[in-house]
Amino acid sequence: MKVHVRHAPDVSILDCSGDVDLYTSTRLRDALLAELRSGVHSVLVNMSEVGYIDSSGIATLVEALQLSRQTQTRFGLFGLRGNARSVLELARLHKVFHLFANEQEALEKIGSVQPFSGV
Amino acid sequence: MRILISSQPRLLHILRGVVRLLAVESGFPESDADNIAMAVDEAAANVIRHTYKGRDDAQLAVEVLRLPDRVEYLLEDWGPRVCSEQIRPRPLDEVRPGGLGTYFINCFMDTCSYDRDFPGGNRLRMVKYFPRKA
Repeated sequence: MKVHVRHAPDVSILDCSGDVDLYTSTRLRDALLAELRSGVHSVLVNMSEVGYIDSSGIATLVEALQLSRQTQTRFGLFGLRGNARSVLELARLHKVFHLFANEQEALEKIGSVQPFSGV
Repeated sequence: MRILISSQPRLLHILRGVVRLLAVESGFPESDADNIAMAVDEAAANVIRHTYKGRDDAQLAVEVLRLPDRVEYLLEDWGPRVCSEQIRPRPLDEVRPGGLGTYFINCFMDTCSYDRDFPGGNRLRMVKYFPRKA
């Protein structure tokens, strides 16, 4: 699994690719938490190249969600497909995260969503 | 078939791949094969994290038994005895990290239980029945 961080004005985008599992989720966690603590306005995770995510990967995303509440950072995911989407739905977390179809929609809408308050 | 690996998280993707291929070879649809691979992956990850507490020099084994109506996946470890009564998925309305692995295993397998007569460790028996033909 690879994580590449792009910085745009007010937003950090983390491009993830590959499998997110017990071994690789620490890489995603380190990158996510660093961006959420950086003071940036919004953090987006590009999941379009993630073919597999397990419970440790989901736990990483939930931890980031909780940190985003503390830091008042807007946090969202886009490009979910296949296993990643179905696993989030199965865990009933698809209604908890801000989900966007693609990067364009995410960039258009993330600035207007409210930072999370319910987790 | 029996797969024996060391308890290194970096090997889990290999275990997933082999289990998935075997599931397809056994006759499961691709979607079921993906789910079976994830269930075995979650169970193995639980062993590494909780039973072996992150040790990477232990071993775990997965035995795949094809039977006429089902496939049984036996995950064996040689760590401290697990108290199965304490292993429960977290309620889904609690949004917090962790506790989903057992939930996914229960979702993707038809039955899941520990063999109490396994000596020297734990053996988790996960069973998946073949879909009924229309």
